[in-house]
Amino acid sequence: MRAGATAGRLRGVTVVETILVYAVAPLALVAVLALLTLVPGRPKRLRYKPGQPWEHEPVWYEPHPVGGGGHGPAGVPGDGTTALGSSMYPEQHGPGAPGQSGAYGEGDSHGATSVRALAAGPSAAAAARPFGGARGTW
Amino acid sequence: MTRVLEGTSHDTATSDGTMATRTDEAEAPDSLFSYRELLRLDEALTMSSRETGLRFTLYIGDLGQQTRARAEELFERSGHDLPESVLLAISPGQRVVEVVTGAAAARRLPDRACALAVLSMTNAFASGDLVGGIVNGLRQLSDQAGHPRGLRTH
Repeated sequence: MRAGATAGRLRGVTVVETILVYAVAPLALVAVLALLTLVPGRPKRLRYKPGQPWEHEPVWYEPHPVGGGGHGPAGVPGDGTTALGSSMYPEQHGPGAPGQSGAYGEGDSHGATSVRALAAGPSAAAAARPFGGARGTW
Repeated sequence: MTRVLEGTSHDTATSDGTMATRTDEAEAPDSLFSYRELLRLDEALTMSSRETGLRFTLYIGDLGQQTRARAEELFERSGHDLPESVLLAISPGQRVVEVVTGAAAARRLPDRACALAVLSMTNAFASGDLVGGIVNGLRQLSDQAGHPRGLRTH
């Protein structure tokens, strides 16, 4: 029948065509939409939820200095302090830079830094006592 | 950082092995938070510090066995202006939040206010929102501390 059908003449619809149009096509459409919605929605990396075991490097953020530009006092290398720069200015250039995670494990420069911090620590800290604050768990 | 911090530990009761130096982890410290979250933390820290004139710093990491002693020890090393500083130390793995305030900051941020901020933070943490809890806690602390009359910002 199909072989004899020419343009301009009506012909009947076969069962196969009916199934294709009314069953397969909607299913294909639904499948495509489902793929489009489900595939990009999968989380690329697992979000950390507080309470899960902490397996990261400790991080320490400080505010921007008021003057803007430059690094805060706590971020100066060799200053004896180890607070990280804030996220906008994370880079601390120079040997023993505290902001770089790879630099922690090495070196005598850190030893000197910590000794200086020990020497400077108690006098500066005594002025700040007594400490206040609070504690909480969840 | 861990190594330097361990080198100055005054807390004899804290065992040395609690904070392992993770040299095998070559990731940037920023890999924990997305950039959007980092921006939120950054803005919250900076704005609350500028609003109040206090110096808020935020520590996220392990606090060892004696969390309070460890947080105070960290606070003593947090910068140059200790009496006017506030340290927010969070150990998500241990589910502990510690707020340490210097003597001058404690007059504007009494312990009750800190406890209230800690309560709102722990609520957010319990529902899984680390960054949101920190931002809200900082906002609450800076609201409580207020804006000193003579402070010139920006």
